Amino acid sequence: MRADLYTAPFLFLLGAAFTYGGWTMDRLEIRQIHPASIPGLVPMLLGVALAIAAIVLFVQARNRQTAETAPEGTKDTTPGSLRDLAKAAALCCIYALGLVGNIPFGIATALFITCFVIAFEADPPKGRAHLIKVAVIAIALGILVAAAMSILFRYAFLVRLP
Amino acid sequence: MIETLAHLGNAFAALTTWQMLFHAAWATLLGIAVGSLPGLTATMGVALLTTLTYSLPTNAAILVLICMYVGAIYGGSRSAILLNIPGTPASAATTLDGFPLAKQGRAAYAMRVATTGSTLGTMVGIVLLIALAPALSELALKFGSFEYFWLAVFGVIISGQLTGGNTPIKGYIAGILGLMVAMIGSEGIHAHVRFNLGFSDLNGGIGLIPAMVGAFGFAEVLMVMWQPKADMVKSSREKGSGLPRFREAWKYRFTVLRSGVIGTFVGLIPGVGEDIGAWASYAAAKKASKEKDTYGKGSIEGLTAAETGNSAVVPGALIPALTLAVPGSAPAAVLIAALFIHGIRPGPMIMIEQPDFIYSVAVMLFLATVAIFVFGISLAPVFEVVLRIPRERLMPVVFALCVIGPFALTQRLFDVWVMVVFGILGFFMRRFGYPMAPLVLGIILGDLLDKNLRRGLTLSDGDISPFFTRPLCMIFVALIAFTILAGIPFVRKNTSGIARSLMRTGKDAR
Repeated sequence: MRADLYTAPFLFLLGAAFTYGGWTMDRLEIRQIHPASIPGLVPMLLGVALAIAAIVLFVQARNRQTAETAPEGTKDTTPGSLRDLAKAAALCCIYALGLVGNIPFGIATALFITCFVIAFEADPPKGRAHLIKVAVIAIALGILVAAAMSILFRYAFLVRLP
Repeated sequence: MIETLAHLGNAFAALTTWQMLFHAAWATLLGIAVGSLPGLTATMGVALLTTLTYSLPTNAAILVLICMYVGAIYGGSRSAILLNIPGTPASAATTLDGFPLAKQGRAAYAMRVATTGSTLGTMVGIVLLIALAPALSELALKFGSFEYFWLAVFGVIISGQLTGGNTPIKGYIAGILGLMVAMIGSEGIHAHVRFNLGFSDLNGGIGLIPAMVGAFGFAEVLMVMWQPKADMVKSSREKGSGLPRFREAWKYRFTVLRSGVIGTFVGLIPGVGEDIGAWASYAAAKKASKEKDTYGKGSIEGLTAAETGNSAVVPGALIPALTLAVPGSAPAAVLIAALFIHGIRPGPMIMIEQPDFIYSVAVMLFLATVAIFVFGISLAPVFEVVLRIPRERLMPVVFALCVIGPFALTQRLFDVWVMVVFGILGFFMRRFGYPMAPLVLGIILGDLLDKNLRRGLTLSDGDISPFFTRPLCMIFVALIAFTILAGIPFVRKNTSGIARSLMRTGKDAR
């Protein structure tokens, strides 16, 4: 996979950073702990292991790339809609990181579900009737799910909703 | 033997109240629905349900989670047969023969075969769970810090090797990343806070449930919305009885037994999971079959092997989860977290502290199996309807549950952020071909590895030789070395070449 050539250096850097973090971590000499039980020991080893694995990944990816013919090399790109992915990721992140905690959970959830359904189901060229139908379904689903979830968590599981 | 039967009898009596049977019924039904829907996995179902069972009594909560697990693994066969998309990764091998059968207009027949296979597979696994778990628990009592360290290393390595496919190195990397995640927060020996990056919320570490809900829930939502929609095979209304296919089960009894045993033993291997169990059973059945040509074209034997194999992994994966606190699969990892939440401490002491519990789990699995059998046979058309729910309406509901689930456990918005971060990380890991099981296993085993390495070194005053000279350690070291070497293409090629030439020499000598 061509992406391995780019992820490998990143993983190597992460490994190096972890090793550095483990090496510079407080060794708790003041508490007179056994030197073999310092908190940074395992992070250091894991950092080294990740760095080595990243090098192996890079070498394997480079060897594979030179061995493969060009059309086969693109085989890993599964057809998917980047637009749909971006839309879904943006809506989810706005809901989870922006709305929840800032406005009542029930309202945030109803808004999110309604917007999600409209964003993916509404097809303007299909006409006004279609858009109204999608909007009604989206609003109904949003309100229903938000109410059910809020009631379930608030009264059955005694959760103080955000 | 009599003691085992007495334990089983007690567990059976305690778990067959109307209330418990009701819990088993709805949870299995929900599990089948979750498994049926591509994009909703067993791990995600168990993780989300863990947050909903917080207020239930312990036995009821664990019963609900086990029923969800068994139901979801079985439910995956529905979409594998009707859509050619495995509902869960466990059903990937089911598509090979299930979908061709559906295309021949025998979808309902294929689903009945899958139901029978899953039922029998879980039953074989339950028998082996009852037989093996107490013995393994007793063996685990001999483990010290040195052995536990190697067990954790072995778990991550074998999981990475077997789930990494053609690139085991990606499996190892996923495992190491999981171990690194486990290093965040207060460590278990001196309570020193590591890698909190200035966030006091990270002092307690990364919660397993928010991480799992993100990696298996949010990541799946993104994957499903990214991938093109699947077309469903026209609903089958073929003639024939709706009863299970016991005739086929009897005809392929050796395949059922072999696949059940293979599935259970694959489950025993840390962090490997149901998909490998199904593939291994399928490959073994094909190798031993008299009708190899039919495989991939709608073979009943192939379908039986795949479904028996993946379902048998469930009880198998619970054996190390209960006796060593090392999960055999990703859903079992979440189940371990749920056990801790409900005050049960899995590990070698479980047979001493709660000797009834393993038998209770066996009875819970039995109830779940009966439920998948009953629902699988009687409600097949209902699950076809479930498969028709548009993803655009289902996914926002799933994501809303992913948000409120982790929040409900700790009432911290920080856990929602953790879920989002792990969701995005999980999406990219899947996209770039990194398996998720070693990541989960790494998060679970990180603490075990860290504490036991440092405790072992303290006990030996910094001497590393006990890690290599104690008998059980030597076995682990040999297994780890063999696993790593087997993953190196150069070594694999040369050793198979040597083996071939040795065999040829042997034949020539004869």
